[in-house]
Amino acid sequence: MKIYAYGVIDSNEKIDETIRGLNGAPLFNVPYRDIGIVVSDLNAQIQKEDKTSVLKHEEVVEMLMDKFTVLPMRFSTLFSGKEHISLMMKNYYDDFIGNLDRLREKIEFGVKTIWPGDLIRERITAAHRKSDNLPLVASSSGKSFMNEKFENYKIDKEFEEEADRCIAVVDGFFNRYVSEKRLEKLKTDNLLLSAAYLVDKEKSDDFKKAFEELRSSGGDLKYLLSGPWPAYNFITLSRSMDGKFGGPDLIKTILQHKDPK
Amino acid sequence: MDNLIKTLQDKKSYLDLRKQERVTLLEILDRALEKGVVISGDIVISVADVDLVYLGLKVLLSSVETMERLRGAPFSGADEEPT
Repeated sequence: MKIYAYGVIDSNEKIDETIRGLNGAPLFNVPYRDIGIVVSDLNAQIQKEDKTSVLKHEEVVEMLMDKFTVLPMRFSTLFSGKEHISLMMKNYYDDFIGNLDRLREKIEFGVKTIWPGDLIRERITAAHRKSDNLPLVASSSGKSFMNEKFENYKIDKEFEEEADRCIAVVDGFFNRYVSEKRLEKLKTDNLLLSAAYLVDKEKSDDFKKAFEELRSSGGDLKYLLSGPWPAYNFITLSRSMDGKFGGPDLIKTILQHKDPK
Repeated sequence: MDNLIKTLQDKKSYLDLRKQERVTLLEILDRALEKGVVISGDIVISVADVDLVYLGLKVLLSSVETMERLRGAPFSGADEEPT
């Protein structure tokens, strides 16, 4: 029998035990001092490519979010017994308290911005070719090769500067309503911005209005607002090994394994 | 997510809803499988296949950007509180 953990909450009280977790198991709150961690027993394995389990995890966390300040655990956090949970809560207590205080009455919104990056890059490239009068196909000489490299560097730089300008405009719509933010620029050429914003619950309507203003401002950019979410992106642990067991790292490992170069 | 679909049922086509559902799931995956509290050390068992869950679902779902490009339509509805 393993114990599956959903999230740490700012309560050591019993929770509604009629609510079900993974595989229909009842949820319970394991108290530690003035906080608790919500868990359920888990007998079976979580299946690969099983979105149901991920959605159930999220459903439970969002339900907790309605009643408590919650620090969501990453999907798949399992313990082999209650004594291990108590030990973990003891070790992480200060971290959890710090995060619970910081994230109280706050929610997360996601904003993704897509721009026609490929077209913008083409436009910048064409402008450079025209102004520098460079041949479209580089000759084999070393000098031409270096010129081409330098030209590409300048194009990349200009592309990034253009991205920075657009991100500043998008971000400017939200600045006054957010407590914290995490911005990721150009995860791909077309995904200009992947942003997470931490917002006071009482300012969430203002935030949504700001998004509507942004969306109706015209232009070639497309926007996606998601949320409100539990504050997944804003948990900071001093003793975290964040990433060691995370998806992207293993994906990188798999890719590196397939492509050793 | 069910609430979302109910909310949008009256004004969105089936394809819009399917797209919305996938976008929502992608947003959930990006959080539940990549973020949140990560406990270190031997006291926690991490499901060995969690990375494959992430990889498998990501591959199945494609990315938001790719979906957007392939479908050629704006994020109609996707900007309306998917949770």
